[in-house]
Amino acid sequence: MNNIDSDSDGAFGLPPDTPYAVPPATPAKPSVLRARLARILATSGVRTAEDDGTPSHFSFGVDRIDTALRGNAGVDGLPRAALHELHAASKDDRTSTAAMALLMAQRCQILGQDGRPILWISESGEARRQGRLYPPGLAELGIDPDSIIHVDAPDSIAALRAAADGVRSSAMAAVIIELAGKKPKGLDMTATRRLSLSAQKSGVLSLVLRSGSDPENPLPTAAFSRWSVAAAPSLALEANAPGHSAFDITLLRHRSGLYGLSARLEWNRDQQIFREQPENKGAPDTGAVPALAAVRADHPGTRAA
Amino acid sequence: MVIMAADRQAVSLGLGPGMKLADARARVPDLLAFDHQPLADADLLSRLAEACERYTPMVAIEPPYALILDITGAAHLHGNEERLAQDAEDRLDAAGYSSQWALAGTADAALALARHGLKEGAEAQLPVAALAMDEKTHQSLERAGLYKIGDLAERPRANLAARFGMELTVRLDRILGLEDRPIDPLRRIGNVVTERRFAEPLTHIDAALACLSELFAEASERLNERGQGARMIRMMLFRCDGDVARLGLETGAPTRDAALFKRLLRERIEALNDELNPGFGYDLIRLSIVASDVLAPQQLRLEGGEDRQGDEVALVSQLSTRLGRDRVQKFAPADSHIPEQGLLALPALNAPPPVPWQRLSPDNPPMRPLHMFDPPQRVQVIAEVPDGPPYRFTWRRKSHQVIRYEGPERIASEWWQRKDGQQPGKGGLTRDYYRVEDARGRRYWLFRHGLYGEEKANPDWYVHGLFA
Repeated sequence: MNNIDSDSDGAFGLPPDTPYAVPPATPAKPSVLRARLARILATSGVRTAEDDGTPSHFSFGVDRIDTALRGNAGVDGLPRAALHELHAASKDDRTSTAAMALLMAQRCQILGQDGRPILWISESGEARRQGRLYPPGLAELGIDPDSIIHVDAPDSIAALRAAADGVRSSAMAAVIIELAGKKPKGLDMTATRRLSLSAQKSGVLSLVLRSGSDPENPLPTAAFSRWSVAAAPSLALEANAPGHSAFDITLLRHRSGLYGLSARLEWNRDQQIFREQPENKGAPDTGAVPALAAVRADHPGTRAA
Repeated sequence: MVIMAADRQAVSLGLGPGMKLADARARVPDLLAFDHQPLADADLLSRLAEACERYTPMVAIEPPYALILDITGAAHLHGNEERLAQDAEDRLDAAGYSSQWALAGTADAALALARHGLKEGAEAQLPVAALAMDEKTHQSLERAGLYKIGDLAERPRANLAARFGMELTVRLDRILGLEDRPIDPLRRIGNVVTERRFAEPLTHIDAALACLSELFAEASERLNERGQGARMIRMMLFRCDGDVARLGLETGAPTRDAALFKRLLRERIEALNDELNPGFGYDLIRLSIVASDVLAPQQLRLEGGEDRQGDEVALVSQLSTRLGRDRVQKFAPADSHIPEQGLLALPALNAPPPVPWQRLSPDNPPMRPLHMFDPPQRVQVIAEVPDGPPYRFTWRRKSHQVIRYEGPERIASEWWQRKDGQQPGKGGLTRDYYRVEDARGRRYWLFRHGLYGEEKANPDWYVHGLFA
C-alpha cells in the first residue's frame, strides 16, 4: 500500500529498508531514526567507529553498572573513543588502579576483537620508586605482555606528548598514561581537551591514571568520566588463600551527569570479564587474628556491608 | 723529559724528536716547551679525519699523526688525484696545519712515502727505516750494505727471509705495492650514498633539511630498485671550515617513505643537545643508508584502508627518535626462574618476534604481581621460626596485619652460576615467597631471604611486588 504516513512501508512501493524512503509525517521512534542514519552513512562512505565492526562502547560485564552507565547514548558501558580518568583512592592503591586501566583496555580489545597493541606510558622516576610493570604479572591477569608497548618517559611533559602522538595514530587500540603527584606538569584543561578530541576522532581508548592525587579535589580535566579505584579484600580460596583481584570503583564524574555509582568488582581472568563480588560474609579463620571490620570508615564511597 | 715533536723553526736549529729537553734548552735557551697530550692529539686527529670524509668515506687513522684516504674512484670530482690531494693540503694549511702527502697504489706505500717526504713512484729511494722494524734490524741492514728500499727490492726474498725474518719481506712487499692490506675506515660505508656539493655554501638550516629530504628521495629510488628499505640512515653536513655535523636516524621497519623521514628528521633535530650551527655554511651534504632490509614494492591500498602495521612502526620510530631507543620497550621472557631476571625489556625498534609466555592454569588467582620493586624493599616481619608464614609486617613505617596468605613458593638461587656453588653453604640464599593480603584488602608478594638456621641465622624479609 502506498501509504506515505505509515512507518512500515516506504514510498512508491519500495521496501522500507531503502535509504531513499520518504520520511513519514509523524515523528519516528529514535531507534528507527538511528537505523536510518546508519544506512545513510554506510552508503555515503563516511567512516564511523562502527563501520569496521568495532563497537562504540565497552562494558565491564556487570549488568548493574553497564546499564547504569547507559545514559543518553543508548548503549551500555563507557565510550571507547573518549578520554577517561582513573584516580587511585590513596597512594597504596596505585597498583589496583593500574590494573583497572589495563583491564578496561583489555575489555575494549576483547569486545572489539582488536589485535592492535596498547601503549603504556609512565614516568621513569615514579616507576623506580613505586614499582615497575612486571610482564609475568600482566600475563597472570590475562593480558598478553606482547601487546604492550612501554614508553619510559623522562618527565610528565614528554609523557603527555607521547600520549598525544599515540592517540592521534590509528595504530594503537588504547593509550594509558600514568601521571603521579598532585599537579603533574603539563596536565591541564587544554592538554586533556586535545587528548579527548583526538580520541574521539581516531577511536583510540585513552586512559589517564592519576596516583598521588586527591580524589576529593582533583584537577579539572576534560575527561568523559572520572573514577576512583581502590584495592578491595578478595574472596578467600581454600586454605584461606588470597583470591582473585578485587577492586572498589566509584564514579566521581560522568558527562551525562551520573554520580555516585560504586561497586566492588572481581576480575575473572579465564572469561576475561568482571563480576560483582558477592557480600564478603564471615570472618577469616586464622585463629589469633581479630575479625575483619565490615566497613572501612576512612575510605570514601564504600558500600556498607 | 724528551721532545715528542718540534716545529719547523726548532728543526732548523737542529732540535728534533727524541732529544732530551735539557739538551735542547742548553742549545736554545729561549725554547718554548708544552706538555704532550696524547689524548687531545688523538681527538684532533679524528676530527681532521672526519673533515677528510668529504673526499671519500674510506678514511683511516694511522696514529700518531697520519691519515690514509682511499680515493679509488673518488678523484674525478676534483679532476685528478693530485688536485684532490692538493685541495686537502690547502684546506689543512688554511686551518693552520702543515702536512705532507703522497699518492701510491697501496696504503703502506703511500704512508711510507709521505712520512719521508717523497712523492709518487719514489719507493726505491726510501731509506730502510721506512720498513718500521726495530732498531737492531735497521742497523744490521745498514751493516749489510742495504741502505735503501731499492737495494732490498733486488735481493732474492728467500735469503732476506732467512736472514731477517718473514716480517721484513711482508713489509717490503707492502711498501713496494706488491701486497695490499685493507684499511680500517672510521665508519661503516653505507649501501647507498648520495651527496650534494654547493659552490655557494648553505647558511640556513631549512635549506639543509630540504636538501636532506631530496637526498633521501634519491636514495629511496635506488633502494626501490633493489627491493629494499632503509633501517639506519646517517647524514653528514660538512661546513666549509672543516667542522662536521653528524645526524643518525633509525626506524623500526624498513621504509622508503619520505613523509616518515621528514617527521623523524624533525624529531631528531629537536632532540639534539647542541643546536645545529651552519657557521659560514655547509658546502657538502651527504646521506648514506647504513643498514637496509628487504621491503617489497608498495602494495596499493584498496578502498582507502589504513596501513596499520606501517602506522605502528612509524609511531614507534618517532617516539624512539625523540626519547631514545631504550625508552620505548617491548617485553620478552628470559630464561630464568629468578623473578627479577625472568624478563627482558628490549627496545621496540628491534623487538624479536613474540614468544609465548608461560601457560597459566585456569581458575587460579594471579601468582605474580603486577608491579615489581627492583631492588626488593626491606620489611620487618613477625613470623614463626623456622618457616612460619608472615603474621604482621611493617613497611614504609606502616604496619600491616596479614589476613590471608598462600605459600611458601620456594625459589632457589641459581647455584650453578656461582663459584663453588655446588658446595653446601655457597649456593646462595633460597627465597620462600608468600602471597599475602592485609586487612585493608591489598595484596603483596613477600619473601624470606634465606632458610632460617640452615642458610642464615636471622633471615631478612622483603616485599618484591604488589598485586592488583
